[in-house]
Amino acid sequence: MTNSEAAKTQPIVRLEDIYKAFGVTEVLKGVSLSLMPQEVVVLVGPSGTGKSTLLRCVNLLSRPDKGRIWLEELEITAPGVNEDKVRQRVGMVFQEFNLFTHLTALENVMIGMTKVLKMDKRAAHAKALEELERVGLANRADHYPAQLSGGQKQRVAIARALGMDPHVMLFDEPTSALDPELTGEVLAVMQKLAFEGMTMMVVSHEMGFAREVADRVVFMEGGYIVEAGPPEQMFDHPQVDRTRVSQ
Amino acid sequence: MNDFLMFLQDVIPSLLKGTVITLEIAGVSLLLGVVVGLPVGLGRVYGPTWLKRVLGIYTTFFQGTPLLIQLFFVYYGLPAAGITFDRFTAAFLTLGLNSGAYQAEYLRGALQSVSEGQMTAARAIGMSKWQAIRAIILPQALRLVLPAWSNEAISMLKYTAVVYLIAVPDLMGQAKILSSKYFAPIQIYLIVAVFYLVLVGITYFVLRAVEKRAGIPGLTYSPEHGGA
Ligand SMILES: Nc1ncnc2c1ncn2[C@@H]1O[C@H](COP(=O)(O)OP(=O)(O)O)[C@@H](O)[C@H]1O
Ligand SMILES: [Mg+2]
Repeated sequence: MTNSEAAKTQPIVRLEDIYKAFGVTEVLKGVSLSLMPQEVVVLVGPSGTGKSTLLRCVNLLSRPDKGRIWLEELEITAPGVNEDKVRQRVGMVFQEFNLFTHLTALENVMIGMTKVLKMDKRAAHAKALEELERVGLANRADHYPAQLSGGQKQRVAIARALGMDPHVMLFDEPTSALDPELTGEVLAVMQKLAFEGMTMMVVSHEMGFAREVADRVVFMEGGYIVEAGPPEQMFDHPQVDRTRVSQ
Repeated sequence: MNDFLMFLQDVIPSLLKGTVITLEIAGVSLLLGVVVGLPVGLGRVYGPTWLKRVLGIYTTFFQGTPLLIQLFFVYYGLPAAGITFDRFTAAFLTLGLNSGAYQAEYLRGALQSVSEGQMTAARAIGMSKWQAIRAIILPQALRLVLPAWSNEAISMLKYTAVVYLIAVPDLMGQAKILSSKYFAPIQIYLIVAVFYLVLVGITYFVLRAVEKRAGIPGLTYSPEHGGA
């Protein structure tokens, strides 16, 4: 399907009029957004605006109250859709890394392959090493998360997500928990991924990254998308005042 | 001095027989405690509300009443309801269910101390909740619970002493018999105390070694280097 003509014009992710509330707090108030194959979208906006919630809707960690979501040809918000199967196709990287504490870097990358994809140990081992290689950490394969720096942890987390061969990657402020001198190595890996053609949805305050890597910047505020466009337009000629301030 | 050695020679065979029984009761009860405590602890954290309540009643009952009353209830009380056990079964059941309650509570604490992000990350790569519990949460919780479990094993060795009250010839039961046979309670109980001390000591060192082997930097001890 991914190689067919249809896939070229079909969005990888399509969000249609998404609403989400936690109790009385309305967080998403009708958000629509599509990601085309190989597109990199950077979501920006003040905190508490619903960026994380929107991201979590894409892999159903959060279920929208209203609205529909498609992952390629599949409507994942339709009743009876297997959430676990959906999540195998969507990679996610968290602000706090969330590496499995009791597993080495290599085992962190392997475990999804063996337990979820049911690959055999040897094949998973080889593939996990490749993924670590891809993020430049093959030499840290046997280290536990606590023995890695923050930047290294996040790169392992990226390798873990990549190991599942996701069709799209979600990044939720992947560098916000890092010391400034460690953000570069993570952003470099993300840039490389984007260059290789990965479809990515990134929540980030890294304006340099957005400017250089994003195909589209989406500005969210108060549960709405208030402006969206290519980075040059968003940063140099913003239509909404708030976008100007956010720089 | 020679008298004392002769005396030791007389009592030690009986005490060793008692030791075997003490170890048997402690071992079987601990094992039963694991078999009960593991699912109960999991149910207390991940089960539906009604199950959490029911299991809560079980743990509260066994943690909130004296062990001796539990033992008498099982051995003398249940027969009134038509349920009869021999001494050993009563001992295994009481100590096992008692230990199960404690082990469940220790496990519950350990499960809850594993951060939310571990489950989220596991679900995000497509694991089901049960897969995540088995592959990610439980292996961490079991390592975290080991020190408490070691204490439980050591306590169990000593708690087994109550079974002499339903005439099980464990170490304590043998001590009782010998002390009236030789009219030397102080000496006997001192020797028995040493027996318990040795059992506890060996258990302690074995379990510490297990803890060390199962240890993981950043989980059970802080790493020497690295970390952000
Ligand atoms: N699980 C939750 N339960 C209750 N409130 C939540 C939950 N997740 C997010 N929220 C609330 O939703 C709002 C938006 O949160 P979030 O999506 O994290 O925003 P952002 O990522 O843009 O900072 C916040 O007010 C937050 O407190
Ligand atoms: Mg957020």
